[in-house]
This record gives sequence, C-alpha cells and structure tokens, in this order.
Amino acid sequence: MTILATEGLTKRFPRVTALDRLTITVGTGVTGLVGANGAGKSTLIKILLGLLPATSGRAEVLGLDAAAQGAEIRRVVGYMPEHECLPPDVSATEFVVHMAQMSGLPRTAARERAADILRHVGLHEERYRPIGGYSTGMRQRVKLAQALVHDPRLVFLDEPTNGLDPQGRDDMLALIRRIGAEFGISVLVTSHLLGELERVCDHVIVIDGGALLRSSAIGEFTQTTQAIAVEVEEGLDPLAARLAELGEAVAVQGRVLTVQVRSEATFDAVRDAVCDLDLNLVRLEQRRGRIEDVFKEPAA
Amino acid sequence: MSEQTAIIHDIGYRHYDGPRLGRGSAARALAVHSLRGVFGLGRTTRAKIIPFLLVAIMLLPAVVSIAVMALVKQQGIGYTAYAVAMQAVLAIFLASQAPYLVAPDLRFRVLPLYLSRPVTVLDYVGAKLVAMTAALFLLLAVPLTLLYAGELLVDLPEPVHTREYIASMVAALIAAALLASVGLALASFTPRRGLGVASVIGFYLFTSGVSGVFFAALLASGHEAAAKWTLLINPFFLVDAVQVALFGTEPSNGEGYPSGPWPALILLAVIALALTGLIARYRKAASS
Repeated sequence: MTILATEGLTKRFPRVTALDRLTITVGTGVTGLVGANGAGKSTLIKILLGLLPATSGRAEVLGLDAAAQGAEIRRVVGYMPEHECLPPDVSATEFVVHMAQMSGLPRTAARERAADILRHVGLHEERYRPIGGYSTGMRQRVKLAQALVHDPRLVFLDEPTNGLDPQGRDDMLALIRRIGAEFGISVLVTSHLLGELERVCDHVIVIDGGALLRSSAIGEFTQTTQAIAVEVEEGLDPLAARLAELGEAVAVQGRVLTVQVRSEATFDAVRDAVCDLDLNLVRLEQRRGRIEDVFKEPAA
Repeated sequence: MSEQTAIIHDIGYRHYDGPRLGRGSAARALAVHSLRGVFGLGRTTRAKIIPFLLVAIMLLPAVVSIAVMALVKQQGIGYTAYAVAMQAVLAIFLASQAPYLVAPDLRFRVLPLYLSRPVTVLDYVGAKLVAMTAALFLLLAVPLTLLYAGELLVDLPEPVHTREYIASMVAALIAAALLASVGLALASFTPRRGLGVASVIGFYLFTSGVSGVFFAALLASGHEAAAKWTLLINPFFLVDAVQVALFGTEPSNGEGYPSGPWPALILLAVIALALTGLIARYRKAASS
C-alpha cells in the first residue's frame, strides 16, 4: 500500500534548488530518508505537510493532495521537527494534552491519549515536572509523544536521534521500530547517518542535492555487500591464500577473515578450505554489509 | 502495609477511534487555554501573582464606590470614567500578559507544532487575539458590573444609571479590542518576554506622555481645537472619545474631544494597522 508519493517534485528557493524533480513512493512500515545536511529532507517534509507550496510537480500523502488538502493531511499525520520546540515552563503532560487538543481531540480523550503515549515513549514520574529540567533524551521523547498523541496513520520524524548519546540513540531507534511494527503507524524518518537507519527501516530512500539517488528495500541494500566473517584458531594467512587462489575476494581484518559472497559456492569453498588445511574453526558468520558501503560505490 | 489491590497490565498500544474535531474546536481550545493562561490559571503560583493583584486593584474603586453609595447615598466613580481612571492598571496588565501569549511560542519555536496540525496561522493569531481581548474585557466588565449591581441594591435617590452602564460595557469591549491588537502586535515583534513587556509599557508611557505634553502646551498657547486632537494620541482617551461620540456620555477629561466620526475612524485604522502588522509577523514566522 502506498502511503505517500511524489512526482517530479521541485522546490526552488531564490538562491537554491532544494528539491529537483524528485519522484518517490513510500509504502507502509518504517522508511528511512537519508541525505546529507541540506539535501532537502526537511523541505520535503514541509511540502508533504502542505505547509510549503512546491514550485512544480505533485505530492500525495495517504491519497490526499499535499497542495490542496493540507489540512486533512495534518489531521492524520504526526510531525516531530528537528529543532527544539518545547516550552520550558510547562510539564510534559500538560504540553502533550494541549497538543492533542490542537489536533482535534476532545479534552478527556486528549488526557487519556497523552498519559498513554507518554508511557509508551518511556516518560514516567518526570512527566509532571517542567520540561525545562529535562535531559536531551527526555526532550526527544516529549517531541515524539506530541507527534503520536493523536494516533496518526503516518508520522514524520526529522532527525530524531540528533544530539543523543549512543544509549539514547539506541533507545530512540528501538522506539521507532516499535512505532512501525507494534503501533502500526507508518514512519518516515530522516537521518544523515545511514548506519542508524539500517537498523530500523524496511525501506531506505537516499536523496542528494534534492534528487533521488536510490530507493530500495533494506534487504536489497545489504544483499549486494553480503559477506561472511571467518575466524580460525591459527593459520589465517594460509586460509586467505587458499581462498584467494580459488578466486574469492578476501580481506584480513585483524584476526578475522572477511569473504565476499559471490554465490552459494563461496560457502562450500570456505568449508572445504578449512577442512583441507585442517584448521580449527572458531566462528563463521554472516556479516551484514553496511549501507554506507553501497553508497560509496555509485559516488566513486 | 496496604494489601496489593490493583495490578497494572501492559495492554500495549491502543489506537484512538474517538471523534476528531475540526479546526474550529482546536482554535477554541487554544483561545480558552490562552485566556486561562493570561490570568495565570494552569501556570505556576508565581504567574498568578501579577494578574490577580491587578484584578484586585481594578475592583477596588468599585468596592469603595459601593461603600460610598451605601453610606452617603451618593454615586462614587462613574461608569464611563472607569477605564480612563484605571488606565495605568490596564496598561500594566496588557504589558505583563500580552508577551506571555505570543513570545514563548516564537522563542521556543513551538509554532511549527501548531502549524503541523489542522490549525492555520490565522486561527492561531485569532485565538490569541480573542483570548487577550476577552481578558481585558473581563478586567473592565467585572468591576463595572459589580458597581452596577451595587447601585441597584443600594437604591439611590437618583435614577439608576443603566444607560451609562451599557455605554461603559460597549466601550470596554472596544478598549479591549484596541489594546489587545496593539499589545499583541508590539509583543510579537520580539521573542523575548522582557523586551515585549518593555515595548508595550513603553508604548503606553510614550503615547500618554506625548498626548499630555502637547495637550498642555497647545492649551496654554490658546490652540484649544488642536489640543483636543492631541488627546487622541493616548489610546484610552481615543476610546473615551468614541464612547462620547457613540453614546453622548460625559467626557472623562474636562475639555472634550473633536466631534464627528473621526475618533472612531482613527480607532479602526489603528486596529487595522496593528492586525496587519501582527499577521505579517506570523506569516513570516510560519514560513521560516
């Protein structure tokens, strides 16, 4: 099912072209939108929310036209901006209740939903304290909660891991995964870090300079660089030499040998080589190729 | 130790399938939320001190007046003079509360969160204007109504001043609309609340000062007609002039105002100018 689609979407500002004939389609689940800073990610979200008119081309969200039906889109879509957007002197509960009402929920429903969603994003007793005293991780959770409080069908998360420490990053990514899988809300999440999105997305779209670089399911990304890691007790070098003889692409990384998988035969070759050389195999595992590697190729 | 009486079950994520109200309800909720906030309701105790103190000061003349009526059977402060007499209190209220309504959302960039919802920029600005206007109107209408209720109860020898009461209530609404639009427009130009307070109070001091100095100077040099015009620079005298023109009430200053539709036209022009500035400010904020 198509959640959103753009066709030849172009946005020109007086000085820069933010989007250049961008045509993408996004299905349900978690979709990553990757690009360097200034690649046009935030501009795209603003157009999809119907807040910014496109110069040309069209965009559709949940079957609604972004240019003409912005208000309807904004009723059923959530948005977590990249920048700080929280007032310091109110509590998370009050703020999220207020934002739920702004999305059209009646007051009692707003209270219930706010309590529910704050629990889901992991804010507990501290939700009654003013936001001014929160850590960055807690603020990001409040920002996420206000985007989800009205139970949207789709949520735009603009750089949700920005400014978080590694632990906070992991928590946020796990939460995004849950939103897509458990909550059943489709997610469009932007990041300038490919590695992060690899962990949570079903599909990744890469844009550069406002144009589409690549759009594919996460499986396709990792398949192209599928590799296996081989670790043996001793004799790593002879093994590498043997495999290289057989025409496999091997690389020694410390105590681990990385072998690129060309076909099923590669697995057999590794097994036979280990047996023939009479080595003690410690580890043999699939190494998931990182999507960064994929994008290095077309750039080169 | 109390017995364990309840167990918390994690029932997972629940979808919302209740009603989703439209733009109008959201804007109304914002207006109510803002109006409560102006009086410090739903905010910290510290935020309640100034508005409640000013409300008490506004009520004081009405209470004293009722006491005077009861004791010496004579009317105290007049309805139509109330706003002019209490202008400094109204100005302080506007200066302290208008920035609260607009500055934090600009400073902490909350505005994009509103705009990513069904409400539009105009809904947002409208809700804030309605809230500030309603707050200022209440600030005047409550003491006026208390005074009127007092007059009805005390039973003075002279007839009840119903006409003056109605005139003063209409003028209170006009004053509230004028002050709210000017106050919000001035406050919205700076995201810092302190500067907003300073600019609104500065505006009041400047206009009342300039108006007073010119009036005195022109009167002393015998230009009585010109002197009356300079009174209109002070927003409170401008509203009083409109009240005089509409209801033929007694002017609250001894000299009177220029007659004809001009005070009303000037008032409308000032409101229009303030609203234009306010909307332009928010359109710019929304697109950035």
